[in-house]
Amino acid sequence: MAVVQQPKEKPSRTDENRAGFARYKEDVKKRGKPFYPYAMFHDTVMSLVVVAVIIGLAAIWKWSSFGPHHDGTNPGLLGPEYDAPADPGTTSFVPRPDWYFYFLFYLLRIFKWPESVFLGTVGVPTICLLLLIGLPFLDRRRERRPSARPVAMVAGALTILSMGVLTWKGATANEALASEVIRDVPRWIQQENLPPAAVPGAKLFATSGCTACHTYAGSGGSNLGAPDLTNIASRNLGIATQVKHLRNPSSVTPGSPMPSFASLGDARLHQLAIFLESSHGTH
Amino acid sequence: MATTYKRKPTKAEIRREQMEAAVMYPIDWLEERSGLVGGVKYFLFRNVPSDINWMQTLGSAALTAFLVQAITGVILAMYYTPSVQTDPATGQPVAWESIRHITDDVTMGWLVRGMHKWGASVFIILMFLHMGRVFLFGAYKYPRELNWIVGVLILVMGLMEGFTGYLLPWDQTAYWASVVGINLNGTAPFLGPWLAQFLRGGQEIGGETLTRFYSIHMLLIPGAIIGLITLHLYLVIRLGVTSPPWSKEAAGMEPAEDGHAPLRPGLTRPVTRNGNGIAAQGEPGGQK
Amino acid sequence: MQPEQPSPENQHEEAHLPSPSVYPIGFAIGIVVILVGLVINPELISSIGAVIALVFGFLWARDATRDLRGEPVAVEPERREMVEAGAGETAPPADQQGVALPVVPETAVTRSHFLEGATIGLGAVIGGLITVPVAGFALLPSFLGQKQHKVDLGPVDKFPIGSWFIATFIVDPAQGEVSRRAAFVRNNGSVTDPSTKKQVPSFTIISNRCTHVGCPTQANGPQGPTLGKPTIKEHTANGPAEFVPVIPAGYGCPCHGSQFDTEGNRTAGPAVRALDRYGFEINHGRLVLLSTYSVSHVVGTGGQAQIYKYKSTGPGQHVDGPEAWFYPLQPPHH
Repeated sequence: MAVVQQPKEKPSRTDENRAGFARYKEDVKKRGKPFYPYAMFHDTVMSLVVVAVIIGLAAIWKWSSFGPHHDGTNPGLLGPEYDAPADPGTTSFVPRPDWYFYFLFYLLRIFKWPESVFLGTVGVPTICLLLLIGLPFLDRRRERRPSARPVAMVAGALTILSMGVLTWKGATANEALASEVIRDVPRWIQQENLPPAAVPGAKLFATSGCTACHTYAGSGGSNLGAPDLTNIASRNLGIATQVKHLRNPSSVTPGSPMPSFASLGDARLHQLAIFLESSHGTH
Repeated sequence: MATTYKRKPTKAEIRREQMEAAVMYPIDWLEERSGLVGGVKYFLFRNVPSDINWMQTLGSAALTAFLVQAITGVILAMYYTPSVQTDPATGQPVAWESIRHITDDVTMGWLVRGMHKWGASVFIILMFLHMGRVFLFGAYKYPRELNWIVGVLILVMGLMEGFTGYLLPWDQTAYWASVVGINLNGTAPFLGPWLAQFLRGGQEIGGETLTRFYSIHMLLIPGAIIGLITLHLYLVIRLGVTSPPWSKEAAGMEPAEDGHAPLRPGLTRPVTRNGNGIAAQGEPGGQK
Repeated sequence: MQPEQPSPENQHEEAHLPSPSVYPIGFAIGIVVILVGLVINPELISSIGAVIALVFGFLWARDATRDLRGEPVAVEPERREMVEAGAGETAPPADQQGVALPVVPETAVTRSHFLEGATIGLGAVIGGLITVPVAGFALLPSFLGQKQHKVDLGPVDKFPIGSWFIATFIVDPAQGEVSRRAAFVRNNGSVTDPSTKKQVPSFTIISNRCTHVGCPTQANGPQGPTLGKPTIKEHTANGPAEFVPVIPAGYGCPCHGSQFDTEGNRTAGPAVRALDRYGFEINHGRLVLLSTYSVSHVVGTGGQAQIYKYKSTGPGQHVDGPEAWFYPLQPPHH
């Protein structure tokens, strides 16, 4: 007897979803375990760990900051207990957000061009938030196994990686301005073996914003193509050329974007030149 | 046939029955008048898949962190003053001074403040980890899409809570982080400048900014978060917890057909119908 | 049906509903007038109120005790007529044909429709009455009543010509320290005012708030102790002010790397325009700061600088170029 083959019908996605969910409910009813005590035990243990971690962090914060000298402004392992009161007229403070906003903070540093500022401030974060909210509508496949969701897994891994990198770079970013760099001078003196005559120039170098564009002995940042000055003395430019350059950079390096430091006055320019010509590199 | 007589209950058994009745009496009283006991019992004794793993405790861990924040926050609010006026006695802003007072003078004040400060970071980390776990398990798919959206809203609210709370100690880090955060809002096209001015409470950051951030931090966002968390938990209880997708005994797997090995959950295979047009067991339209 | 005569047997069983009358209202009005009169004019107005209350009270009591006194009470019965349903009308249910409700066309406003509409409407009105003042209270004060504050920085002679200072001062004495601001100040000497052709002092006063997102910029140059010059402290009318001598080669922002030259022009980084400046006036030989204004760029230096001014705008918001169209409306600024 011939068997008539019926054409295969593909049920709609909604039907499959509903059937799958009905199957799940049935399975849980038949083979599941009661939430209390099985799952709740796990939850309770984890919650205990969380509370213990929070209390532990609070205790470490207190005892490493206040403990040693009974002074809450001492940094300790987890930072100082309290910071200076708000001073809206400061010219030496380096603002930073709370650590979980570091990725947004660094995003603002990536979008360096003035025309793109709104992208970094509201554009990119808004788009990312919309993608996050819309995830269930972008991915409608029923498949849940990670091994069979390559796009999702790659996208997830990239997201975690980029958030991690942005957060880390935000944490380590420093702008190399006067209030921060002045603390590096003792290290420079030691690492570069600077003679006493070079110390006033070193301090001027640290506070005049040079490190905003130049790197020196591990301090500062590279901007606008400014060269590293750790061993600038090995170029044997001589004091006179250094002073001339500081007074008018374009006269020594045509087209240089470096601003003029003539306003410092000849005496200070001379001190800076001595410092630069004593910088033979770190040992 | 000999009749079996029920053995007379012993004194210990009688006492036990009396004690059980005494304990059950108030519970039954409550249940008859409110139905709440039944709800709690449903929550506690409902079934969950037998193969759930430790990664799935991150959600309740985040809830615990939130509760820690709520409780420590309430206690801190009893000692904190959101005023930027300079205290003549100490020469410092009153808000800053109240935080110093909590940290140094109030008994265990340092502990409550420390727990609140670090609890915020722990809460945010746990939310991100929980979100990652849900993404890994594919637990944002049908029928849990709404729950995912609610969860993202909770995350955003949590970050806003951290942002508004950061200003309250009124120290340098607090002040300048808030200046930047408000100005970021100000760069949004068209409404940005107005939003920034509303957040600031004026043209410059001042006393109004602190008080409104305090109101947002204490009242507006906690209310929203509590509402959203309630909805989130309701959906979890209603829709159930997923099995790990790689589990061999995952709940909701498609049944074996024609001697093939059981399929893993979520795998789509065209549903075949036999010659009579009757769907196989477990398929849409088929018999259970 | 005949109106039932109230007899001693059934007057306790049925609810007695006399026809509505105006007497209770009149009585209430009388009471109100008495009370108002006690406040305004006891002799005249309270007396009138007492008369009204007594008259209406008497009439009301007489009406209410009618059946006690045995007088027949006229009670209007409900009239229920049996009719067939016409076109577009609701027929009464068969089992209620004997006591059918009056026929109502479906398009008529029934009592339930009216109540639904009234509930929602009144709810909306209540919602509006509560929300509008509260929303106004929440939103408006941030935008209204912003005042200009003048800051007296001291005599012009105290600023040596050509020397830069980092000045910190209090803008609004009522707010105190929270309104402290910083600016980079230089006395440019005298310039000729083009309109009056007289010599007037010229100052460059640059706000230190970066135009990217408002971080506090720092001067790139030796200041204070590194320079070897003391900080000048002054007690101005607004509160304590400080002037730190500095030799800047420019200004830099510690947040995201913006750099500015000594006129405030942006030279590097994400800042969207030049640094804002303070307007100033010279009042009896003293330097007085006015409001800030925004600057797109500056051409030239010192007293000869051409400053391209704009209304005070928030950080990160362009004042010129195509992106200025993103920010057409600024909140009111003093």
